[in-house]
This record gives sequence, C-alpha cells and structure tokens, in this order.
Amino acid sequence: MPQPPTHSSSLDMAQPEPIDLSSGKYVKLWQGPQHPGITGNMSLELTLCGDEIVECKTHVGYLHRGFEKFMERRTYIQNFTVVCRIAVPEPTFNEYLYSAAIEELAGIEVPERANWLRALNLEMMRLASFLMWTGGMSGAFGLYTVPNWTLTYRDYILDLFEELTGARIYHMYIVPGGVRNVLPDGWKARALEILKGTEKMMREVDRVMMNNAVFKARSKGLGLIPPDMVDPYGIVGPNARAAGFKRDLRKDEPYLVYDQLDFEVVTATASDAYERAWVRQQEIFQCINLIRQMLERMPDSGPFQAQMPNVLHWKIPPGETYLKAECTRGEYGYYVVTDGSEYVRRVHVRGPSYTHAIAVMERLAVGTNIADIAGLMVSLHTYPPEIER
Amino acid sequence: MSLKDLISPFFVWQRAFEKPYTVGLKPIVERPGAPAYRGFHINMSDDCVGCGSCFTICQNHAIDMVKVDGLEAHGGDSGLRPRFDYGRCCWCGLCVDICTAGSLRMTNEYAWFTTNPDDFRFVAGMENKSWDGRTGGYHRHPDYHLFPPKRIEMEMLAPEESVASFTEVAKGYTEEQAKLEADRCVECGICVATCPAHMDVPDYIHSIRDGDYEKGLQLMYRTNPFPATCGRICTRRCESVCPVGIQGEPVAIRWLKRFIVDQVAEADYARILPNVEADTGKRIAIVGAGPGGLSAAYYLRLKGHAVEVFESQAQAGGMLRYGVPSYRLPDPALDKDIEHIRSLGVEIHFNHSIGRDTAFSDLLDNYDAVFVSTGLNVPSQMRIQGEDHPRVMDGLKLLDDVANGKDPQIGTSVAVIGGGNVAMDAARVSRRLGAEVTVLYRRRIEDMPADTEEIHEAQAEGCIFVTQAIPVEALNAAQSDQVTLKWGEAEMLQDPKGGRPRPVLQEERMHLDTFDTVVSAIGQGSNLDYIPTEISDQLQIKWGKFIPGDYQQMVLNKLFVGGDVANATADAISAIEDGHHAARGIHRFLDTGQRG
Amino acid sequence: MNTVDEILDYAIDQEQQAADFYADMAKRAEKGGMKEIFLEFSAEEERHRDKLLNVKQGDQELHANQAVINLKISDYLVDVEPHENISYQDALIVAMKRERAAFRLYSDMAEKVTEPALQDVFLGLAKEEAKHKLFFESEYDERVLKDN
Repeated sequence: MPQPPTHSSSLDMAQPEPIDLSSGKYVKLWQGPQHPGITGNMSLELTLCGDEIVECKTHVGYLHRGFEKFMERRTYIQNFTVVCRIAVPEPTFNEYLYSAAIEELAGIEVPERANWLRALNLEMMRLASFLMWTGGMSGAFGLYTVPNWTLTYRDYILDLFEELTGARIYHMYIVPGGVRNVLPDGWKARALEILKGTEKMMREVDRVMMNNAVFKARSKGLGLIPPDMVDPYGIVGPNARAAGFKRDLRKDEPYLVYDQLDFEVVTATASDAYERAWVRQQEIFQCINLIRQMLERMPDSGPFQAQMPNVLHWKIPPGETYLKAECTRGEYGYYVVTDGSEYVRRVHVRGPSYTHAIAVMERLAVGTNIADIAGLMVSLHTYPPEIER
Repeated sequence: MSLKDLISPFFVWQRAFEKPYTVGLKPIVERPGAPAYRGFHINMSDDCVGCGSCFTICQNHAIDMVKVDGLEAHGGDSGLRPRFDYGRCCWCGLCVDICTAGSLRMTNEYAWFTTNPDDFRFVAGMENKSWDGRTGGYHRHPDYHLFPPKRIEMEMLAPEESVASFTEVAKGYTEEQAKLEADRCVECGICVATCPAHMDVPDYIHSIRDGDYEKGLQLMYRTNPFPATCGRICTRRCESVCPVGIQGEPVAIRWLKRFIVDQVAEADYARILPNVEADTGKRIAIVGAGPGGLSAAYYLRLKGHAVEVFESQAQAGGMLRYGVPSYRLPDPALDKDIEHIRSLGVEIHFNHSIGRDTAFSDLLDNYDAVFVSTGLNVPSQMRIQGEDHPRVMDGLKLLDDVANGKDPQIGTSVAVIGGGNVAMDAARVSRRLGAEVTVLYRRRIEDMPADTEEIHEAQAEGCIFVTQAIPVEALNAAQSDQVTLKWGEAEMLQDPKGGRPRPVLQEERMHLDTFDTVVSAIGQGSNLDYIPTEISDQLQIKWGKFIPGDYQQMVLNKLFVGGDVANATADAISAIEDGHHAARGIHRFLDTGQRG
Repeated sequence: MNTVDEILDYAIDQEQQAADFYADMAKRAEKGGMKEIFLEFSAEEERHRDKLLNVKQGDQELHANQAVINLKISDYLVDVEPHENISYQDALIVAMKRERAAFRLYSDMAEKVTEPALQDVFLGLAKEEAKHKLFFESEYDERVLKDN
C-alpha cells in the first residue's frame, strides 16, 4: 500500500534532484494518448523509478479543434451548435453559458419557464456525467461491475434527453433566447421512474464500491490535495469541496433558479481519491433531489423563448462578459467579447480540467505508484476536450 | 480493514437475479427514435418555396440550393431545393427551425446504410429514401421562432379620425420600428423576382438595418423613380410571396420603402442620385405624364436624351394624382418623386392633348422615338336603364373633382357600385365628404379586386358592404335630387369551365333603395381615339390595349408603349417597369438601330 | 317552316347573316383593335353556322335537354346601336343582345309548334343560342365587369 505523499507544504516548489536518464535508474513511460486509463485524448509522460513516479508531464494537443477561433467566423446562432462539442460528456454547460453570455450582451431577458428547463437540463447533465465518472472511477480500480450499472442508468438519462431535446449527446437544446422545446407528454413520470431506479442503483454502488475493501485500500490517501494547495492551483468543484472548501457557484452566486431550490453544499475533510469519490456520490443523490424539486415546482405553461430578433443577421452591441456555472468539475466559465458585428469578437472558455489535468496532476502524480496513476487521474475528473477547445 | 468492507462487495450477486437491462431476445431489436429525435431530413417539396434560409443558417455548409428536374421557378418559388450533404451535416436542426415555409423537418430514423457514398448527398423530398413517409421526428415548436413572425404594426389614424379629413391614414414607421421590421427579412430575393420592376428589395431593406438611407434611395432609384409613391400605394406583389408570410406575416416591404424615402430630404436627391449623362442629341416624345410616362422619361433623360412629355391635365402624375385620394398618397409625396424627375431636365407640356393640340403622326415624324402611356381613363358604363340620371356619376369623376378641389355635391347618402380600388377610393372619399356610403358589389368580398387592406379600411371607416347585389335600373326618386336604384340579389354559380364563380341575378329578389348619388365604379377602359385609324390599323391592339413586343416596342419601330394601356395588371409598379423597360429599348434602338 | 331541314336552313342563314354583319363591322370599325374583335366575332358565328351544317348532314346532334347557364347579363342592359367608333363593351352588348334575341325567337317557336320533332329542333336551337349568349356574357363578365 503506497504511502500518501508527504508534502511539508504543497507549495514547496524546491527543485527536485535532476533526473539522469542515462543512469539506468529511471524508465520513461508514455501513458496515452490512446490508453484506457486516460480520460481522453491526452497523455502523461511519466518518469519512473521502479514503480514509483518521480516526474509527470502532461501533454495535450491531440484534440485541438480551434473552437474559440472557429466561433469568430460563425454567426451567433451558428455558434450554439458548436459550443456543445467543447466538453463532450457535458455539452449542456457550454450551451447554457454561451447562450447566457450572448443574452446578457444582447440585452435579452429569458422567460422564467426557460430558466427552469435550463436548470433541469444542467442537473440531468450533471447526473449523467457523474454516473459515467463513477463507472470510470470504479473501472480504474478494477471494479468492472459498477460501470455496467452506472452506464446503463446514464443511458436511461440519455433517453430522457433524446425525448426532450431530440438528441442523446449533443442536445443543442439551450439556445440563445431560451430553449427549443418543452417537456413532452408523460416525460415527468418517466423521469421520476428513472430517478428512482438511479437512486436504488447508487445505493448498491455505495455498497460495492465505496464500502469495498479493495477500493478503499487503493484510493484512500491517493492524490491528497492539502487545503493550502487549493487556491494557488485554482482547484475547484468536488476536488476543492473534498478538501473542506464550502464552495459551489450554485450556492455562492446562484444563477437560473438555484436560489429557489433546497440543497446543501457537500464537503469532506481530506481531498484524496476516496473522499473526492465520496463527495461525488453525495452530489449524485443531491442531483436526483434537485431534479425532483424542479419537476415539482417548474411552471407547466408560458413562453420558453424570449422575443428574438432575426438570427440570420443578428448583431450584438459591443461589450464583454464573463459568466460561470458550477459543472461537475467546478467552475466552468465563458468570456465573450462582442464588437457590434454579426460575429463574436472573442470567446474564451475556462474549463476546470485545464488546471486539474495539467498543473495539479503533474504535482500529485509524483510519488504515486504506476498502478494508481489512472485512478488518480480519474479521481480529478478531467475532460481533455475542454483543455484545448 | 473492516469485515463489512470485505463482505459488502458480494452484494453484486443480488443483481444476478434481476431482469437484464438489454431488451428482448434478439440482440438487435430496432428501437424507434424518440418522437422528436433529430434524424434524417425530409422536405415537403410542394410546400417549400426555395427561399434558401436553411442554406444561409447552416454553419457546416452542408446545404446547397440546387435546381431540380421537373421543378420550374415561378411566382413565389425560386425553383431551387435544398440538397443535403451528410458528410457535413451535424444534425443541429437549425435548418428546420429557420424554414420559412415549414416544409422541412427531420424524421426520427436512427440509422441509414448505403454502399454508395454519393447517396449521402441528396435533395431531401425529391429522392426516395427509406424514411419517406415517417411521421415522427423533429419539427419546430410552434412557439419557438428564429425570426419574429409578426410584423411591426403601422400606426394608422383611428377610423373616426380618418373619415374626418383627407390626412394620410398611415403614419409611417419611426426609425426604431423600421429597423425592427427590416430585421425580419430573410434576404431570399423571391420578392425581387416577383416585383414587376424587380426592385432590389433585400438590399434596400439591408440599408435600413445599416441606417444608410442614402444607399437605400440609390438602390431604389435603379429600378423605380417613384419610391415615395410606391412606398404608399404599391400593390406589393412582393409581400404576397414573401416567405416570412407563409407561417407569419410578410415583411412590410412597402412601408420600409416609404420609410427610406421619408428619411432623405428632396434637397439631397441631386447629390445622392445619379446625374444626367452627356447630351445625345436625340429627342423623345412621351404621351402621358403618369407613372409609366415619367418612368420612361427619367431613365431616358439619365442617358442624355432630350425628353418632352405631353400631358392633357394641368398637373403630372396621371392616375396617381387624379385617381388616388390624398389620404393614401398625399400630394407632397407624389411631388417629391415627380420633382426629381423634372429636375433632370424633363420637359412637361401641361394641358396639351395629343390628337387635339398636336397630331399623333406629327410626334412620329418629329421625334426619334415616341413612348405612349395614356392609361385607362374612360370609365366603363353600366349600360343599365337610367344610367344618364343626373344623380348617377362615375367614380373617376368623383375622385378627379376631389383631387382638383371641386365639391362633387354627392349629398349625404351614396351608393358606390363596384369592388375595385376605384370603388373603394370613391367610397372612402364619399365618407370623408360626410356621406353615408353603401357599396354594392355583384360578387363576394373575397372576389373583390380591390386591395384587402383598402376593403378593411373602408369597412372600418363605416362603409356598408352589400355583396351579391346587381344593379338593374336607376329610377327617378320621389325627390328630384335623389335617385332610386333597383337592384337584385345574386347567387354565385360555379362556371363548369373554371374561373371565378359568376353571379346570376335572382329576379324574384329585387330591391329599391333611394340615394342622393349613385357612383358607378365598375372599371375603366382606354381611349385611343387620338391615334388615327390608318396608324392604329397597323398596330396590334386588343380589348382596347396595346400588345407590345419585346422592350415594349410596337410594329412601328419608333413607337413604344407601356402602362395600364399596354399591360394586364394595370397598376403603378407595372407601369413604372414598362417605362423603364421601354427606356432601355428606346436607348438600345437609338444607339444601335436594333429592334428588341 | 314545316320541316326540320327548313328550320335548320333558316337557322344556318341567320348565322351566316350574323357572320356577314360582323365582317362588315370589321371593315368599318375605326377604333384600334376593333377590327380584329369583329373578325373574331364573325369567325365565331361561322363556327355556329358550321355546326348547324353538320347537324343538317347528320354528323352532329342538337341537344334539346342540355342545361345551359343563363347569366342574365344582357337581360338588363340597354340596347346599343352599332356604329363605326363602337367600343369593345358595346360590341359585346350588341353580340349578347343578338344571341338573346335568337334564343327568344327559337324558344317562342318551340312553344308554338305542336309536332314533337320540330319542337325538339327549336329547343335544340334555342339551347345553341343560349350557349352563344353564355359565351359572350362570360366574355363580358371577364373583361368588362372586371372591377364589378
């Protein structure tokens, strides 16, 4: 059982001993970009001494599609079909933030019903994303039963998305001005049924994963993020909450309808792989609860789209804004600049994986066992596409 | 390590006794897509008008508008249809959302296999696909719009206010309103094809969005030297084909045109608009200073020809001045158009009647070309008994009197006979002169040739409509200054040969009503008596109208014709186009000696 | 007129006279385009004549019982005298009135004769004239009563 890394201080940035590869003491190993233990198309350049990692460098660039630049050449309405691709497992946060930023700059007020539908979508997305992560996390530690369960339920949620939005992955549902559709007949009942099944399944996951001797043994103490590392490294979301930081944008700076919903920010005491997993498990239950609250309280009638100009030649006055929302990994942000033309001047997307997968990962990997590197990475919950945009 | 943590994972075995998640016995059971799933495209080709909005909005350039065999462009249809390239499509469905005609949707088909890669590029709705006939799939929610479906209402005088004076009824858009309305245009250009003058509608609307009204004015004068007039009274066939109007209300093209003209002062016209080219030394005579004649005069003068217009009335404008009441087209607006044409050096001889003051043959002898646009100014007679009763007058005379500031003395109860624009004008003018007005029309409201808007406004202003009413006789009334009209009810009979239903008099249902005045406005004909028979015998004339060849040219090379007297539509915009077209023909003829 | 052939001969003669009348009008017409109109009218009458000739030879039949729409337009119009400078509207009125007169004549004759065969011929001719009247009345409805 590996010892947790002992940092006198996590900010101790003293230069380590120089690594002399010709000494024969070290092995250079590339993990990724095609590797089941990697959360997407990126790679880790590992330097090993025996089983122990002495250096880790993150390499990205395999996924760079130039979305931010690409959007400068598309009209505002066209971009809404592009942004969802920036984070494949969680397109909805991109849709929401892009739309909300455009609406703010264009001075468009979104109807109440659309806000509820948007929040509902975001929470469903969070649930689907966490279910997939749970599968990934347990898989990374050799528990191959759990992924079958959680991915099945994720698929049931994608069924709900398909019914509501017309697509399973790239929903393209939250559009500048509102949403594209309303809940189909009988959708609420089907959603409640699936939530019930998900909740039951997650209790079972709690038994076989969170209360599993093997999982506990391998994840406890792995990749511990000390509290004083959180702010300097820009660590957000469950990674920070597991370290005891009561930070959640839904609570701290409520957007959409979150100020009307009952929930408490989940925190733990020590941000190691196990505790981070535990926080996410609790947030899955919280998510189910939030969806239930919304289904009960959201309005069933009324407009779901603001009065829109003709999107074919939509110009937006000059301005800039930064909007953020709490995604599964923490603060997700859109910085948008408009210059009065029909095209966006600049878009910058802030994905939390940027810090988690690069600076934090490089730091936490040192001193861990090669066998745990995949589990460590998954425990940080990173999505390479949002690093590169 | 607790014992519980060792035992707990064995809980997975419980699941062994549960029903499997996967469906059915067969491993591949086709599960239909959700009812609103964004699957493959289908286009109701008969409903599609080929506006190309799907092509414009597609961010992948996955749609091309292509010509399809067996489909011809015609009024309101570009004849093009969207071709999809599934190598590029991302199934966002924006094409469906923006579709003006509502003809495009997506079926909920999940999968499609073909061995021929070319199949993935196809014209939806025109090629057989496996998903043809599928009813489910993604379509635009009726409450979700990517452009505003409703037009910005033009502010109008309230009916009780409008009947009290000859003040212009439509107040005109404010800049803010005009920009909002201009925003609704999808820039398809179907209006350009439909407009008789082929005005560059999308571009001048674009100039409103840019706030560049001088450019807008320049664009309009390229094809129409009467924008202030047409911005008020055009028959606007453009709006009837505007695709935005298919599921919503068409863009208010006419009001936008008016807005541009209203923004530019007449004093600036000379600076903004094109000037006259160098003198060519050619002289052209134009008969009639209506929209047709002056349009020809404008474009010929621009080319440097000397233009003389002969007008029998005291002022220019023709029917625009003497037939259209000032509450629809105020004199200053008409004058703005005419003054600019005159400012280029177009000479107009007023009170000068061809046939009376100058022989028609002299024109042909003394000028390099002659353009005739004398219009329809002879009211059709009802040809019923008692039509010569002193209390029966024709609609054109009524409008003419009012335009000239004369009191037509119609009294306080007036019957207007007819359902065309002249009838509506006569009715509304009579209302303004303080009369109770009854409109008698032999067919139904929907058969009326008058502009729907005029019919509605006449109704709002309190004109009473009696339809399926055929006048058969005008009789002396008990009082000498009144007239009794005998009229019978009509039944509409469908002509087995087609065409609009025809009214048939029901003799047993006759009525007698007494009015101060009966105004007959059942149509107008031409008067071509100024053309000597030896000349007219050489010309192609049918039903009192010239039948011109290409470029409006007649058999006599020098003679060009246009306007109501030479076209079937008989509206201002067609006359303007005739004048422009003839001007091109005359210039070409004088330049090269070629016939059209 | 006691035989079917005699009646038909009379009717054929009437159509010929009408054709001649319009041909003459065409020669004298002064207004632009009216020549062609009268020539068309004349040709129309010749078609009527030819049809009756066919009937006489047994190649075609008259139908006494066919339904013909009566638009009654000409019934309430004043009489118009044909003259050199006649307008299209008045020319149509002249034509409608002529067909109406013929229709009335044959209808009256049908009432007067007792022999069923002759009655049928007169009724058949009346229907023919009713059709001719409908032709001109439809034209009047289309072109003259455009705004009405």
